[in-house]
Amino acid sequence: MTAPVYIHGIGMTKFGSFEDKTLKDLLIEASKEAIKDAGVSKIDAVFVGNFMGGSLANQEILGAIVANDLGLGYIPTAKLEGACASGGIALRQGVLSIMSGEYETVLIVGAEKMKHASTSTVTQVINTAMDQSTNEKEAGLTFPGYFGTVANRYFYETGASKEHLAKVALKNRENAMNNPYAQFQKPTTIDEILNARMVTDPLGLFDCSPITDGGAAVVLSSKPSNIKVRASAQASGPTLMQDADDLLSLPAVRVSGEKAYEKAGLGPEDIDVVEIHDCFSMTEILSSEELGFFPKLQGWQGVNEGKTRVDGEIPINTSGGLLSKGHPIGATGIAQIYQLVRQLRGNAPNQLTKQPKIALAQNLGGTGAYSVVHILERV
Amino acid sequence: MIVYECCGIESVTKKVYCSSCGKEITNEYDVPEVGTVYSFTVIQVPPTQFAHLAPYTVALVQLNNTKAKLTARIVDQVNIGDEVKLEKIVDGAYVFKKSEVLHNS
Ligand SMILES: [Zn+2]
Repeated sequence: MTAPVYIHGIGMTKFGSFEDKTLKDLLIEASKEAIKDAGVSKIDAVFVGNFMGGSLANQEILGAIVANDLGLGYIPTAKLEGACASGGIALRQGVLSIMSGEYETVLIVGAEKMKHASTSTVTQVINTAMDQSTNEKEAGLTFPGYFGTVANRYFYETGASKEHLAKVALKNRENAMNNPYAQFQKPTTIDEILNARMVTDPLGLFDCSPITDGGAAVVLSSKPSNIKVRASAQASGPTLMQDADDLLSLPAVRVSGEKAYEKAGLGPEDIDVVEIHDCFSMTEILSSEELGFFPKLQGWQGVNEGKTRVDGEIPINTSGGLLSKGHPIGATGIAQIYQLVRQLRGNAPNQLTKQPKIALAQNLGGTGAYSVVHILERV
Repeated sequence: MIVYECCGIESVTKKVYCSSCGKEITNEYDVPEVGTVYSFTVIQVPPTQFAHLAPYTVALVQLNNTKAKLTARIVDQVNIGDEVKLEKIVDGAYVFKKSEVLHNS
């Protein structure tokens, strides 16, 4: 017998560049807001999502720090690491811990402090999300380079072009313009996106998620609320590009999605609103296919037809996504939940006209090494 | 170079168990370091370690006579489908060049 899991509170910091805030400040700020939103007085355990606290912010033991600084008492805590899926994995461990009956109410918080470091340092550290002991790393492949290689093959096989990637970036920017928590709220144009500085051919600056400071938190409990966690699922995939069975697939996304649908007894057609891990514009398209919202190699047509816009058939990344809301790595998987809970409550930035009932979040780690999917329901 | 095989799955990376049948992988054989560009990217923003090389091309090479692919650095500008072959191995990296460049030189 497993206990049901409900979402009671959410909180997040603004995403952006915060010179005067430490990693701890971001964790505590998001946690306080989620605990206040939940209206609870007792937390039984804390799960933290974080990727580069040790290497960039020179700080570990984040679980104990959160419990201590919030004054939660001598409760168990842990930090979960799964590259950019660290937040989603921390959330999933919180869900499982309640399902098991061990805890009644838990806090999940994710944060990352990145903006103080140089781009080349951050690129080097993010590369630890790929297998570092192989010829592939020595060839000089970068994390964005993986998705650049994917994009060139995708263009070759489908007829999609840089313009379709630009439409993803533009959509997410337009969504972020209405989200006061987003890192980038300045309007842009297709031309500006297409002519921006190249990062890794064919991906330009607007096709890549930015370096961001920020935090996000969620309070879960087995006690009922009006938002239920219908499913939590996770899968692993290849840790090297040269091991990909099909370069244009993300097996971890596909499998985590299939498992989540099976657990929830739902399919892609039942989902009203989605947050997809758009670390790159290409990734949003690929994962929208793997999650069953579009047939394989046709996601770019869905974007072209406006189906993923706020007013489209399957709105994706109404928050602005990683591309424009920002991507403070450990916070990202939890910030997706923040936006979806607000959509389900009916008070989100870019609120859907018809208040959604079922929402799906997909959080990716590495170049497809981890994927976590959560399905939420308004009850 | 060595390719590892079980149940028709071929890889240049050695794994302990076959993801299909679950048995230990024991088949291995040599293939020439020659193939075609399956896809590629030109990296303009490098990590610290490769800053001195930027911009540089990295490609996923479909090796001949096997299903295995190899991630390699390419010294030339390439397109998908170009034939490439090994030029040298530098610090553990396979560095390839266009096959026709060799013929002409
Ligand atoms: Zn086998």
